[in-house]
Amino acid sequence: MENQIPVIGRSQPRFDAKAKVSGTERYAADYYPPGMLWGAVKYSDHAHARLKKVDTSGAKEVPGVVAVLTCEDVAGANRVGIPPRPDQPVLADEKVRHRGDPVALVLAESKEALAAALDLISIDYEVLPAVFDSQEALMPGAPLVHSENENNILHKGKILKGSAKEALKECAAVVEATFRLPRQEHAYLETEAGVAWVEEDGTLVMIVSTQTPHRDRMEVAHALGLPPGRVRIMAPYLGGGFGGKDGISVQCFLGLGALHSGGRPVKIWNSREDSFLSSTKRHPATVTIKLGCGADGALQALCCRLFLDTGAYASLGGPVLTLALEHAGGVYRIPHVDIEGYCVYTNNPVSGAFRGFGATQALAALEQAVDMLAVKAGLDPLVFRLKNALRRGEESACGPLRTYSTGIASCLKTIMDHPLWLEVRSWEKDAPPFKRRGVGVAAVLQGVGYGPVVPDYANAKIELLEDGRIRVYSGVTDMGQGNASTYLQIAGDILSQRFGDMEAVQPDTARTLPSGSSSASRTTFTYGNALIKAAGLLRERILQRASLMLMGAAYTELALLPGRVRHIPSGRDLPLGLIASMLDSSEKVCVYSYVAPVARDIAGIDENFRNMGYPHLIFSYGAHLARIEIDEITGEVTVKSYLACTDAGRVLNPQAYEQQVHGGIVQSLGYTLFEDFQVQKGEILTTGLATYILPTAVDVPDLLSIAVQEEEENGPYGMKGLGEVCANATFPAVANAAARAAGRRIFEGPLTAERILEVLAEEHKGE
Amino acid sequence: MKIHFRLNGSDIAIETDPCRRVVDILREDLGLTGTKESCGSGECGACTILVDGESRLSCLMVAGQISGRKITTIEGLVSQGEMHPVQKAFVDHGAVQCGFCTPGMVLAAVDLLRRNPHPGRQEIRRGLSGNICRCTGYQKIVDAVEAASRDTGDKE
Amino acid sequence: MKKEFILPKTLEELWEARAVHPRGALLAGGTDLLVRIRAGRADSQALISLDRIPDLRGISTGDGEIFIGPATTHQQLLDDYSVQKHLPLLRQSVEVLGSPQVRHMGTLGGNICTASPAGDTLPALYVLGARLDLRSPQGCRTVPIKEFIEGPGKTVLRKDEILSGIRVPMPDPGFRAGYHKVGQRKAMAIAVVSMACQVWINDHGTVGRIRLGWGSVGPTVKTLPEVEKFLEGRPLSLEVLREAGQMVSKGVTPIDDVRAGAAYRRLVAGRILLRLLDLLRKEVF
Repeated sequence: MENQIPVIGRSQPRFDAKAKVSGTERYAADYYPPGMLWGAVKYSDHAHARLKKVDTSGAKEVPGVVAVLTCEDVAGANRVGIPPRPDQPVLADEKVRHRGDPVALVLAESKEALAAALDLISIDYEVLPAVFDSQEALMPGAPLVHSENENNILHKGKILKGSAKEALKECAAVVEATFRLPRQEHAYLETEAGVAWVEEDGTLVMIVSTQTPHRDRMEVAHALGLPPGRVRIMAPYLGGGFGGKDGISVQCFLGLGALHSGGRPVKIWNSREDSFLSSTKRHPATVTIKLGCGADGALQALCCRLFLDTGAYASLGGPVLTLALEHAGGVYRIPHVDIEGYCVYTNNPVSGAFRGFGATQALAALEQAVDMLAVKAGLDPLVFRLKNALRRGEESACGPLRTYSTGIASCLKTIMDHPLWLEVRSWEKDAPPFKRRGVGVAAVLQGVGYGPVVPDYANAKIELLEDGRIRVYSGVTDMGQGNASTYLQIAGDILSQRFGDMEAVQPDTARTLPSGSSSASRTTFTYGNALIKAAGLLRERILQRASLMLMGAAYTELALLPGRVRHIPSGRDLPLGLIASMLDSSEKVCVYSYVAPVARDIAGIDENFRNMGYPHLIFSYGAHLARIEIDEITGEVTVKSYLACTDAGRVLNPQAYEQQVHGGIVQSLGYTLFEDFQVQKGEILTTGLATYILPTAVDVPDLLSIAVQEEEENGPYGMKGLGEVCANATFPAVANAAARAAGRRIFEGPLTAERILEVLAEEHKGE
Repeated sequence: MKIHFRLNGSDIAIETDPCRRVVDILREDLGLTGTKESCGSGECGACTILVDGESRLSCLMVAGQISGRKITTIEGLVSQGEMHPVQKAFVDHGAVQCGFCTPGMVLAAVDLLRRNPHPGRQEIRRGLSGNICRCTGYQKIVDAVEAASRDTGDKE
Repeated sequence: MKKEFILPKTLEELWEARAVHPRGALLAGGTDLLVRIRAGRADSQALISLDRIPDLRGISTGDGEIFIGPATTHQQLLDDYSVQKHLPLLRQSVEVLGSPQVRHMGTLGGNICTASPAGDTLPALYVLGARLDLRSPQGCRTVPIKEFIEGPGKTVLRKDEILSGIRVPMPDPGFRAGYHKVGQRKAMAIAVVSMACQVWINDHGTVGRIRLGWGSVGPTVKTLPEVEKFLEGRPLSLEVLREAGQMVSKGVTPIDDVRAGAAYRRLVAGRILLRLLDLLRKEVF
C-alpha cells in the first residue's frame, strides 16, 4: 500500500493502521515525560450544594503530594464553554451543580499518594434542593441550577410553518405518542488524557486527547488567565471521541497543574469511573409527536415538543437542541409544522455533543411515529416514506429548500428492491418456536457542517520537504474516523505521490492551521475542499519550477510521478528533492482557506436560532432496514440482518466508508438495546463498564452497506459527511421491527429484554 | 522484589513492587505503551497480553504473578520489522479505526487462532467477545481474523 | 502502604505465609479480587498467590467422582476430557462465564469462594451435588456446596482454611444437561437469571429424576425441591413446564438492581423452564 499512488474511489488500507496495529502509535495517554507528576480531581459529593469550605490541609501533608489546588488558584475567568454561556467552572467556586463537578486538583509523585490525598480533602457543603428532570425543572418554583438563570432554560427554539394544529384536524389519520430516549455515554476506549508542561519562555504546552485543539487554546487561555499565544495544544490520534472530546475535559486541569508543579510536567489520565462521572453524555430526550396525513397518504402536519436534559452546564446544549429541532421533520415534505423544544438545566451529568448531535433523538421519535401512522393509514411503511420523501428542489418540513443533492428516495428504493425486504413476510412467518420476528425501516438525514453563522472554514497546509517528500498539516483531529488518511489520499491523488512518500502532521496549534472541530460531519468535507486547492497550488509550483529547471519546458510535457517530475519528451527525471532545493522556503508551503457554503434563508428565523446553527444547506441521507428476533421466554432481542443504504455523496475510500457505517450502526445498536446511563437523584448507577453495557462482537450481526452515490457538487470529489447520518436510523428501525414482532410498541429506550417482556406479558393479560 | 520473566523473547529482570499491576509495569517502567488500559476492571480487553501464549488481562494481574512466565505484548508480535499475519490482516482489511482496542484485539485473535486455526465467523466473534471496540462495529475485525486464518491455512 | 506478595510453591509454604500474614488475601485468578481491591472494596496486607501450588491444580477421576483442584482455570476445565464427558453441565456454565481472557485467568475455586449470587458455575455445582474440601494445617473437612455458601460473598470458610478441592460425583448415565443464562448481552455478561438443569427421562417420556438450580434470583443459588418433585413422573410438555414455571416464579426471591428488576427476574426464572423443551432434542450423556 505504501508503494501505490492512492486512487480516489478505490478501497485502500488506512495510512495510520500500521503504527496502531504495531502498538507504536502514541496517543495522549501514552506520554510519560521524565520527572512528571500525576494529577487527579476531587469531585463533588453532592448534586447541588453551596461550597462552604474546602479544606486541603490534610491532603497536602500526604508524602509525595506536591500541590492541592482549588478555584482560588485559578488566575483567569475560571469558566469554560462556548458563547453565549461559558458557564462551567474549571474548579467549582460558589456552588457544585452535579456529582461530576470538580472541586480540587491534586498533583502527586505517585498514583498512590494521589489516591490518599483525594480521600483527605474535606469539603463543607450546604446541600441545596436539586432538580433531576427536564420537565420538572421548567415548573415554577423549581430549584435553579444557575441562580442568574430564572427558569433553568438554557435554550429554546421554535419552527413554525403553516398552521399545524388546524391541519391536523383535517387529516385522515393522526397518531400521537411520547418517546423517551436514554442518556448515552460515549465510552471511547481512551478515557480523557494528556500531559502538559511550561516551556522556558512561559508557554503552556499540552498533548491532549481533544477534538477541538484550536478552540481549546482560546478556552484554556481565558479560563486560566494566559494570553492565547502562550498556549500550545497538540492533538495526536485519539482513542475515540464521538463528540465526547468536543471541548474541554482535562485541558484546564492539565494547564492549571503545569502552572503549579514547580516546572515539572503533569499527566492526567482519567479512570473509567472518573470519565463516566465527569464527561458529557448524549442528551436524554422526551419527544412528543402528533403526525397526520391525508387520505392519499401525503403527510400534512407535524406537531413536535422536545425536551432535552442538558445537565448542569451549557456545553453544546444550545446547538444540540437546534439540530434536534431542525431534524425533527425528518426527510419529508410536510406543509404544516409546529416544532418547539427546550434544552433545560438540571443537576444531572452534563449533556453535550454526541454523534448525531440531537438529530439522533429527534429522528428516533419521528421515524417511529411515521411507522405508527403508516399502520394506521394502512400503508406499507416503505411506500409511505417514499411517497413523502423530499426530492431536490423541494421545500423541507422545516422550511428551507433542498437545493443540493438529496438522495433519500434512492436510498428507500434500494431497500425496496433488496431481497431482505422483498422476502420479508415469509421470513417473519418462519419464526422458530418461542421466537417472534419483525422487520423495521427508518429514513434519516444529517446536516453537514456548522450552519449559517459560525464560519465553517478549514485552512489546509501542505509542504514539499527538502527530501522530496510531501507533508500534510492536518488541522482537524483524527479521532478514529480516518480523516488524516483521507487527506493523504487526496494529496497523493493530486500530486501523484505514494503513501510512503507522504506524512501527516496531527493538529498542533503551533504547526497546523485552525480548521474547526472534528465534528458535525465536516472533517473531510471542509478540510478536504481546502486541501484540494492547497495541493493543486503546490502541484503548480512544483511543475513551474521543474519547467524553469528544464529551461522552459511546457507543463504539458511534464508529469508528476512518485518522488520526481518527468520530462516526457526527453525521459529526464527531476527528483522532487532537487526541485525543493530550487524553491524558496516561502514557496514550499502552500495554504488554502476554504469556507463551506451556508444556507441563506432568514425569513422568520429567530436570530439566536440561526446563531446556534439553523438551518443547514447540505444534508446526507440514509435508510436502514433491520430484521430482528425476539425471544418470547426472556424478551431478548437478536438483530438477525441489517441493511444500510446511505447517500453521503461519492465514496472516496469504500473501506473507510464501510468502517464508518458499521461503527455508527453498532454504536447505535448499543443505544437501542442496552446502553442506558442510569442516574438516580444525580447519583450515577452505571459507574463503569460492568454495569454500562456496550455491544460485544457476538451482540451484532454482519451488516450490509450500500452507498447510493449521488454526487454533491459542493463536496470534495462529490462527497458529503458520513460519520453521523449512519448512526441515526438504527434506533427507529429496530424499534419499528420490535413493535411489529411484539405487536406493541415500547415508548422508552433502550429496548431491553426486560421492557420487551413487559409488553409481551401485557398481551397475555388481555387474552 | 526482583522479578524475572521473559518479555517478547528476551529474559529480563525488573526490580519492582510485586503488587503493582502488570499493565503499569509494561507502560510506565518498560515503555511498552502498546498495551492499553481502558476500564481497569477486566471488562474491555484493551490491556490484553499473552502469558505463556494465553490471552490474559494485564490490568488484573500483579507483577509477582508473571515471575517465570513468558509475556508477549503487541510490540513483541512484530519480528524483525515484519508484522504478524494477524496484524497484516488487520491493516489490509480495515480492522483499525481509532486503534485503541487494536493491540488487545490482535492478541486475543492470535490466541484464538492458536486454539482454533480455522474458526467460523461466529466462533471468531465469540473468541473476541472479551474485547470491546467502539469504532468498527467488529465486522472488519472478523473479516481480518477470517483472512488471517485463511493465510495461515495456506502455509500449513 | 505497600502490600506483600507471596508465591508459595507448596501447601506448607502456604500455611507459613498465612501464619505470617493473617490478614493476607488469597489470590487465585484475580479476576474478582483485584477488581474489588481497585474499587476499595477489599483490603489486605498481603496477596498470597495460589498459582504455583501443584496440589491445588488439576483434575482427576476416581471413586465415582471427579476431583478438581480449586486453582484450575476455567479454560482448563473446558479443555479437560473427563469434564467434557461426565460434567457437560459444568462445562456449559463455564463456556458462558466472563470472557475468554477471564476464563484463562479465573479459577473454579475463585468462582465458588467469591460466592456471588450470579456466579456462573454455582447453579451447576449445586445441581451436581458438589462437595468441597476445606483444608487447614490441622486437617480437612468436606462440606456440600449448599452448606458452604451462606450469602453473597459469605462462606463457612474459617480464617485458617482454604478451599482445597472440589469433588463432583459422576452423574448416572442417561442424562441431559443445560445451563441457561440470561444476561444483559450475549457475552461478557453477568447473569440476570440463570438456570442449571440435569434431567433423566424415562423410556416412556416422563421425567425420572430432575435437578434444577437458579442463579441471580436470591442471595445464593435457589433450589426448589417441590418443583423437581412436581416434574418427576410428568412429561416435559408445554403445559407441565408452564405450571412448574409458575411455581418457580413464586419460589424465588430476587431483588431489584441496576441490571434488572425483581419482577423480571421472577418472571424469567419461571419461563426459562420452557428451554427444557429444547433439551429433549439434545445429546444424552
